[in-house]
Amino acid sequence: MGKHYRPPGKKKEGNAARYITRSQAVKHLQVNLPLFRKLCILKGVFPREPKKKVKGNHHTYYHLKDIAFLQHEPLLETFRETRVYDKKIKKAKAKKNEERAKRLETQKPNYKLDRLIRERYPKFIDALRDLDDCLTMVHLFAALPALEREKVEVKRVHSCRRLSHEWQAYISCTHKLRKVFVSVKGIYYQAEVQGQKITWLTPHALQQVLTDDIDFNVMLTYLEFNETLLAFVSCHLYHSINVKYPPILDPRLEALAADLYALSRWFAASTRAPLVDPQASSLSGSEQGQGQNKETSLEESELRLAQLQQQLPSNEPGALMHLVEDVAGEDEEDEDTKECKKLFRNMKFFLSREVPRESLLFVIPAFGGMVSWEGDGAPYDENDDDITHQIVDRPSQTRKILSRDYVQPQWIYDCVNARIILPIEGYLVGRVPPPHLSPFVDNDAQGYVPDYAETIKRLQAAAKNQLLPLPGVGREDLEDPQSLLAEGVIDRAEANEAAERKRQMMTLRKQYEDEIKIELQGASAEDMEVGEESLPDLQQVAEDTTNMSKVMMPRKKRGLLEAIMKGKQRKQDHVNLLKERKKKIEERQNSKYT
Amino acid sequence: MVRAGKEKEKESSVVKSEKLKMKKTKDLKPLETQLQDQDTPNISDSDSDSDSDSDYDVDFSEDDGSESEDYESLRDSETGRSDSSQDEGDVDTGDNDGLANDHSNEEQSESSDVHPGVEESDSSEDEVAPRNTIGDVPLEWYQDEKHIGYDITGKKIKKKEREDKLQSFLASADDSKNWRKINDEYNDEVVELRKEETKLIRRMLAGKAPHADFDPYAPYVDWFKWDDAKHPLSNAPEPKRRFIPSKWEHKKVVAYRRAIRKGLIKFDKPKEEPPVYLLWGDESNSTEKSGHLAYIPAPKPKLPGHEESYNPSSEYIPTQEEINSYQLMYEEDRPKFIPKSFTSMRNIPAYENAVKESFERCLDLYLCPRVRKKRINIDPESLKPKLPSRKDLRPYPTSCYLEYRGHTDAVLSVSVEPSGQWIASGSMDGTVRVWEVETGRCLRVWNVDEAVKCVAWNPVRELPILAAAVGPDVFILNTGLGNEEEQERIRELINVKTTTSPDDSDNTASIASWHQDDKHSGIRLRHFKSVSSVEWHRKGDYLSTVMPADILFKHHLAIVVHQISKKLTQRIPFKLHGLPVTSVFHPTRSIFFIATKKNVRVYELVKQKLIKKLETGLREVSSIAIHPAGDNVIVGSREGKLCWFDMDLSSQPYRTLKCHPKDITSVAFHRSYPLFASCSDDCTAYVFHGTVYSDLNQNPLIVPLEILRGHKSSNGRGVMDCKFHPRQPWLFTAGADSVIKLYCH
Repeated sequence: MGKHYRPPGKKKEGNAARYITRSQAVKHLQVNLPLFRKLCILKGVFPREPKKKVKGNHHTYYHLKDIAFLQHEPLLETFRETRVYDKKIKKAKAKKNEERAKRLETQKPNYKLDRLIRERYPKFIDALRDLDDCLTMVHLFAALPALEREKVEVKRVHSCRRLSHEWQAYISCTHKLRKVFVSVKGIYYQAEVQGQKITWLTPHALQQVLTDDIDFNVMLTYLEFNETLLAFVSCHLYHSINVKYPPILDPRLEALAADLYALSRWFAASTRAPLVDPQASSLSGSEQGQGQNKETSLEESELRLAQLQQQLPSNEPGALMHLVEDVAGEDEEDEDTKECKKLFRNMKFFLSREVPRESLLFVIPAFGGMVSWEGDGAPYDENDDDITHQIVDRPSQTRKILSRDYVQPQWIYDCVNARIILPIEGYLVGRVPPPHLSPFVDNDAQGYVPDYAETIKRLQAAAKNQLLPLPGVGREDLEDPQSLLAEGVIDRAEANEAAERKRQMMTLRKQYEDEIKIELQGASAEDMEVGEESLPDLQQVAEDTTNMSKVMMPRKKRGLLEAIMKGKQRKQDHVNLLKERKKKIEERQNSKYT
Repeated sequence: MVRAGKEKEKESSVVKSEKLKMKKTKDLKPLETQLQDQDTPNISDSDSDSDSDSDYDVDFSEDDGSESEDYESLRDSETGRSDSSQDEGDVDTGDNDGLANDHSNEEQSESSDVHPGVEESDSSEDEVAPRNTIGDVPLEWYQDEKHIGYDITGKKIKKKEREDKLQSFLASADDSKNWRKINDEYNDEVVELRKEETKLIRRMLAGKAPHADFDPYAPYVDWFKWDDAKHPLSNAPEPKRRFIPSKWEHKKVVAYRRAIRKGLIKFDKPKEEPPVYLLWGDESNSTEKSGHLAYIPAPKPKLPGHEESYNPSSEYIPTQEEINSYQLMYEEDRPKFIPKSFTSMRNIPAYENAVKESFERCLDLYLCPRVRKKRINIDPESLKPKLPSRKDLRPYPTSCYLEYRGHTDAVLSVSVEPSGQWIASGSMDGTVRVWEVETGRCLRVWNVDEAVKCVAWNPVRELPILAAAVGPDVFILNTGLGNEEEQERIRELINVKTTTSPDDSDNTASIASWHQDDKHSGIRLRHFKSVSSVEWHRKGDYLSTVMPADILFKHHLAIVVHQISKKLTQRIPFKLHGLPVTSVFHPTRSIFFIATKKNVRVYELVKQKLIKKLETGLREVSSIAIHPAGDNVIVGSREGKLCWFDMDLSSQPYRTLKCHPKDITSVAFHRSYPLFASCSDDCTAYVFHGTVYSDLNQNPLIVPLEILRGHKSSNGRGVMDCKFHPRQPWLFTAGADSVIKLYCH
C-alpha cells in the first residue's frame, strides 16, 4: 500500500485535487504543448507552487482552476480552427496550388486580444503595473532586423517601432520621465505614470546578436500580447490628454526616421486645436472619421497633413516646443513633473551625427529642452545662434562657435538623474567623462558611496540653497568641501561610520576607566589576576552575550538569523572589496604623481 | 465447260468467302500484307488511269515468279513485326466492322505518307480498294446494263466484252494455268491465283490454318497485368454522362452567382487591424471581482547598479587577477556580469546577450512557478527571544574565585561534601584528593595507582565516606572527617568480615567481590570490568555502579547495586536496552534512571517496572542530572546539545539547547538555587537559570546566564566535570589541565 493510498470511491482531496502537472493539463485540454504554451502566455496562466508536491518534485504544477479557465477560453477553439486551416494551406502549397493557399490564408480565422487584456487587467493601473516587460520587449523588437527564418516579419518590427515611439512621445510630452541610465546592456529609462514607476530597457541602436538557442515562437507570442497591450495603454494615455490615438504622422518625417519629432508635432497639433476651437476640431475629427471610410489611406494622410500644415507655424520650432510644453496642462501636475519640466528650460540643444539621436530626442524634450539634429526635417540647423549646447561625441571638435558649449551626451543623462544642471567641465569634448552612476541605487543602503555621487550630492545641496543654480557656483563648491561640511551635508553612510567609530571609542574609554578604578581600589592579588584576565575580553563578553541569546532560539529562528548574518556579511564583503580596490587605485595614482 | 465455269464460280465464291474470313480472322493477315505490299506500287498507277486493268493483270502475272521470292524473304521478318502490332490494334477495335477498319487504315496510310520511310504501314488489311463502288448489292441488278458499276470518281465501269464459251474453252485448253484463273464478277475481271495462294486455299480446304508458319498452339501472352485485380479493366464505352455538363454543378454555380451579385460572398477582403479603442473607458465599472485565483504579478527584473554602467567608477572594475580567479570558481558562483568601462558613448558595443536575456525573461515568466512569499525584512535583534535580565536572576557564579592545584594530570571527577565544606576529586594521575573549599588546602591524598574515573561523597552528612571508581574496583574510603561517634560508625560499617563473596546466588558472585582494603582503610569492591560511574542513593546505603560493558559480555550485569550495610551486591531487575552510560537515583522517590546512548529509561524500584522512556533525539547521551524536585531532567550529549525534559509534560524534550560546539561532559543541577550548568570539552561551562514552577500550566523558565571560561585545553579535552556547591551558588569545575576551579557569584 502506497503512502498516498486512496481507497477506491473516495475523492481526491487537498493538493492532489487542486493541482495537476503540466503533462496532465495538456492531456486534459487536448492540445499540444506549443499551443498550451501559447494559451498560457496569452491568458497569463503560470505554474504555481503547491505546498505539497503530490506527483514529485520535478514537475511543474498548475492549479486546476487555472486549467479550467483555459478550457473555457474561446481562443482555444479559434486556435483549433486555425490549425485546420494551416493544414489545408500546407497541403495546397505542397500541391503547388498557390492560389488556394493564398485564399485560405485570407480566410483563416482571426482573433483579438482586447478581451484578454481587459480580463487580465481589470483596471488601467494594473496594466501599468505590468508594463515593464512589455515595454522592454517592444523596444527590443523595434531594434531587431526582420528575420524571415524566425518569422519575425517586417510588419511586426515596424509596428513595434511605431508603438515604442508613441509611448516615448507620450512620456516625453507629458514630462513623465524620471531617470535614465546608460548601461552596457542598453539604456534604462524610468518613468512615473499615475504613480507607477515603469522601468524599461532599450537596446543600443546597433545590430543585435542573435544566438541559436532562442525560441522565437515563445517571444513572438509574448510580443503579440505585448503589442496589443501597449497599443491599448497608449490609446488610453493619449485620450487622457485629449489626443486622438492612432496618430497620423508626417510621412516625410517618418521616412527620415524622425518619428519622435513627428509625434511631438502631432501632439502639438492635436492639442492646439482644442485650444483654439474645440467644437471645430471635434467636427473636423468626425468629418475625418467619415472620410476615413471613403477615401483611401493615402489621400487621407495627405489631407491630414494639409490640416497640420495649416495649424502649424512650421518655421518656428521654438514656438512649437512651447506649445508642446503647454500641452500637459498645469492643472494636475505634481512637484516632480514640474521640476522635470523646468530642468532644460531656455536651453537649445543641437545633436551631432554620432550621438544616439533617438534617445536624446526622447530625453531632452522630456525635461523641457529644445532639440534639433543634423539632417533633413530638423526644426533648426546647426548655425542657429540661439543654440546653447551642442552634444558631440567625438575625439575633438575643430569648428567651434563661442556662444555654445560642446558637451558629451553623458552630461545630459547625468543632469537628468541629478535634476540639476551639472558643471560641464568634466564633460567637454575629448575628455574622459566622470563615472556614470546608476540612479537606481540607494548608495546609503548599499553602504558604499562612490566619489562622484558625493560631489553630485553636494552640488544638489548647493542648488537647493541658492535658488538660481549657476554652474560657476557649483564648481566653487566642488573645490571647497569644507564649506559644504559646514552646511551640514553629511550623508547617512558617513554618519553610520562615525557612529561606529564613536562607539568603539566609548568602549575603549570605558575599559580604560575600569582599569584605573581597579588600580585605585588596590584590590587583592587574586582579584587583580581575575580583573586582568577579564579585561581584554570585552569582545569576548559581547560574543558571549550573542551566543547566549542564540542558545535559547528555536532552530528555525537560529537558521534565519544565521542567514541574515550571512547576507549582511556578503554585502559588507562587497563593500570592503570596493574600498580596497579604490585604495589601491589611489595608491597607484599617488605613486605616479610623485 | 459450264461445269467448269460453275466450278470456277464456286471457286471464286469460295475465295470470296475465304477473303471475308481472312478479314475477320487475324491469322490470315501475314498473307494479306504480302499481297498488298506487292501491289502497292501498282495501285498508284491504276488509280491514275482506271482503264489499265489489263496492265495490272499482266504485271501481276509477271511479278509472280521472279521477284516474289526475294520479297518474301524480306517481308517475312517485317510482317512478323507488323503482325504483332496489328494484333494489338485489332484487339482494341474488336468488333468493329471491316469498313471502319478500312477507314482507319486509310487514315493511317495517309499519315504514313507523310513519313515516306515507313513503308510497311498498317494498311495491310485491304489490298486494293475495290474498283467498283456499288457496294454489296446483288449483281443481278446490273445484268442488263452495259456497266457493272461506278468507280471512285463516279464514272461508269463498262463491262468487258464477254468471250463466247468456245473461245474461252479454247483459251483454257491452251493455257495450262487456266485453272488458276478466276473471274471476279464484281469487278468484272479475271484474277489469276498465284502458287502460294493456291497453297493457301488448299490448306484451308484441308481445314488447316491458311498460313504454314502459323502456330495455332502458340503460348498465350496475357496482355493485361493482373495486379491483384479480379477482372480486367472494363472495355465498356465511355458513358454519355461523361460528356455532358452536370446539371447540379450548374445549379450550384447559379446559386453562387446570385450570392455574389447580392453581395453575400465577398472576395479579397482586406485584412484589417483590430481597432484600438478605449478599453478601460469606464473605470468605475471595473470594480467587479474576477472570481478567479489571485493574480501573482511576476517579480520585476533587478534594477541595474553602478557596476552595469558603461562608464562605472574605477573601483567597480575588477582587476585582471580577479577576473582570472573567476575561472576557478564554480559556475554557479561565478559573477554573470563583469563590469567594463568605455571612455565614451560611441564606443559602446552591442550587448551580445540582449535578445537572449529577453528570451530568458520570457521563459521565467511562463515557466517559473509563482508563490507569494513574504519578504522577511526583520531586525535580527527581534529574532532573539525576550529573556529576563540577568541582573534579576542573581546570584549565579560569574568569575573564578579559587583554584585547587595539586593534581598532576587531568581531573576527571569532582564531588562536594553534603555540608559544603570539603570537596573530593579524582584524577588521571591515580590519586583521590580531598580539599577544603574555602581555603583550597589539600586535606588528604589517596594514591590508588590507577586513573580515578569517578568520585562520589555519601549524601548523608553523618557518614563522610567517599566512593571512588578506579579501574574495575570501587573503593569505599573513610575520609576521617566527623566526630568520634561518626568515625566509630563508619569504621564499623566499612569493616568487611569475610572477604569472600556472599553465597546467596551464582549471579552476584560473579559480579563483584567485597574485600577489606587495609592500605586505604576502606572497602574494595572488585568488578569484572572497569567501572565508569558511581552514584549513591539518597539514603547513603545503596550505591549503583555502571560498567559500560559491550553488549555481548554479561550485558545484563552492566549496572549493579551494592548495599554497604549488608555488603551485598545485586543486579537490577530490569532488562537493559542498549549500552548504559550512567545511572541516577531519584532525589526523593524510589525511582531509578538509566541513560543509554539514545534514551533515558525511568524505572520504579518498588514496583520494579518501567514508568517512562524519555526520547532524547540525541546522538549520544553523555550525562544526566535530575532536578531536586524530581520532575525535570537534563541530559547532555556528545554533540553539544542539552535537553531539558519536563517529565510531567511529555517524553520529548521540552527544550533543546545547542550551547557547546564540542562534547558535553557533565551536567549538574543546584540543590537549592534555580541553577543548572553544563561543561564541555570546549573549555567552557554554561550556567543557566532554570525555574520550575509548581503551577503545572507554566513551563519552566530557562535563561542562559553566564559562560565560564578559564580552563585550558589539554589533549583535546577541556572541562571534565562540574558540580554545584550544596548551599552557595558556586560551581566547581574539574579541568583536563589538572586544575579545579571554583566560580563564585
